[in-house]
Amino acid sequence: MLARPGRYEKLMSIDAKKQIIDVGDGAAIPRKSDRGLFTAWRIAFFGAIGTLIYLVQTKPDPYLNILKFVPDGILVTFQVTLGAILLAIVFGLFTGLGRISKNRFFNGAASLYVEIIRGIPLLVQIFYIYYALGRFVQVPPILSAIIAMAVCYGAYMGEVVRAGIESIHKGQREAALSLGMNGRQTMIHVILPQAVKVILPPVGNEFIALLKDSSLVSIIAVADLLRRGREFASESFTYFETYTVIALIYLIITLFLSKIIGVMEERVSVNK
Amino acid sequence: MKAIRIMAAVVAFAGLCFASAALAAPKTVTVATDATWPPMEFVDANKKIVGFDIDFMNAVAKEAGFQASFKNTAWDGIFAGIAAGQYDAIISSVTITDERKAKFDFTVPYISIGQILVVPKAEKGTKIGDLKGKKIGAQIGTTGAMEIKKVAGVELKTYDEVGLAFEDMAAGRISGVVCDQPTAVTYALDKKEYSNKFKIVGQPFTKEAYGIVVKKGNKVLVDQLNKGIAAVQKKKIDQQIKKKWHLK
Repeated sequence: MLARPGRYEKLMSIDAKKQIIDVGDGAAIPRKSDRGLFTAWRIAFFGAIGTLIYLVQTKPDPYLNILKFVPDGILVTFQVTLGAILLAIVFGLFTGLGRISKNRFFNGAASLYVEIIRGIPLLVQIFYIYYALGRFVQVPPILSAIIAMAVCYGAYMGEVVRAGIESIHKGQREAALSLGMNGRQTMIHVILPQAVKVILPPVGNEFIALLKDSSLVSIIAVADLLRRGREFASESFTYFETYTVIALIYLIITLFLSKIIGVMEERVSVNK
Repeated sequence: MKAIRIMAAVVAFAGLCFASAALAAPKTVTVATDATWPPMEFVDANKKIVGFDIDFMNAVAKEAGFQASFKNTAWDGIFAGIAAGQYDAIISSVTITDERKAKFDFTVPYISIGQILVVPKAEKGTKIGDLKGKKIGAQIGTTGAMEIKKVAGVELKTYDEVGLAFEDMAAGRISGVVCDQPTAVTYALDKKEYSNKFKIVGQPFTKEAYGIVVKKGNKVLVDQLNKGIAAVQKKKIDQQIKKKWHLK
């Protein structure tokens, strides 16, 4: 993901009543109301699985060999993605709160962080955290990959959190304050629980985007799915076959996750 | 009338000369190289691709009567490019192996070199087998990586460039790097920042021959290159180039 100015600017102008944040960077999330996409999702998902099975069945060499070679890479991809998203949520929460804080120091620090991180491509950040900082502090490869991804996504997540909080109607805050809550209590007990509902779908979206971007960590000798594929291809010279399998695996994973997120999103909107 | 006839003859003759000259004019052969492998091929301070392989290829091209134009290509995928026809040949410290020979055509060997192990100064082990339970780095898809893989109990870490493996060893994340001996010398002994951290241990433990790679079935180019290599070796030009790049 590259810094895209204006990507979240949209979020600021959310219609408070609808409370829908529309950020498109992950796979399209299927909704029941969206029949066309729903069938497109089915075709893509089952098509990808079918293609993979067909290839393995008809040409075990090299397809089955590739499939046997990469599973530990899938595990690493998930480790990096999960670790990074959890850390990014923490960073994002602080950044989001900092961005709306009246405290000039917090606000300035959070804004500076967002500005700097959004201006540096993720690939460069990964290289930087791994090799440049590696000269001063020792960080294991996977952890440094997680940190690099989390630092980058934390900045974007901060904007999601900020937009989520700002989408909560002013009246909520005013009511809480008039009940005698202080600012902190209002935030923790009234605003954030409501904002979570708004934030959840874009966070799911970020998760899928992060999973895809995690393929970038293959440059720092982290043996993720893409790296395993590259290792296989560079020794067997089956580039076309290997990258076909890698692409299909990524596709199946992201489509599966987008489905789960779609279901989660519907649940959240039901009890709204 | 006669004058016109003479003129026509002259024009025709000139045209003929031009046509034959065009036929004999040096053809350009595009050669891919992963210029991250000093002293064999690397990018110098002036952003020019230089090294033993580059000089050697230019000498071969001169003898064979064509021109070589170089294309810096990432190692990971360099073979895919030749299969796809993005360039005509690869000269990039490519060891001739049976697996590679099955997919691509090689020229005759033009130099032989061995893999060697580089370790931090404090390391006591002298071969890959001594580093059981530790991580050893190599460039992805190289014969060095394949050698590490053969030894049970050591973990192979692959890098896009061999320089990144050395940098990771300097940071203490891996306990050894396996690469071609001349490259090991360049990184471990010639580079100031590494020379007091690393040492080369043991002798080269493989005997490998480098060849120039062409697309499977491109016999015309292989023959042309082999002819060039034979001429270069006969005139001992390769010895001069070796000397220039401090190769034994």
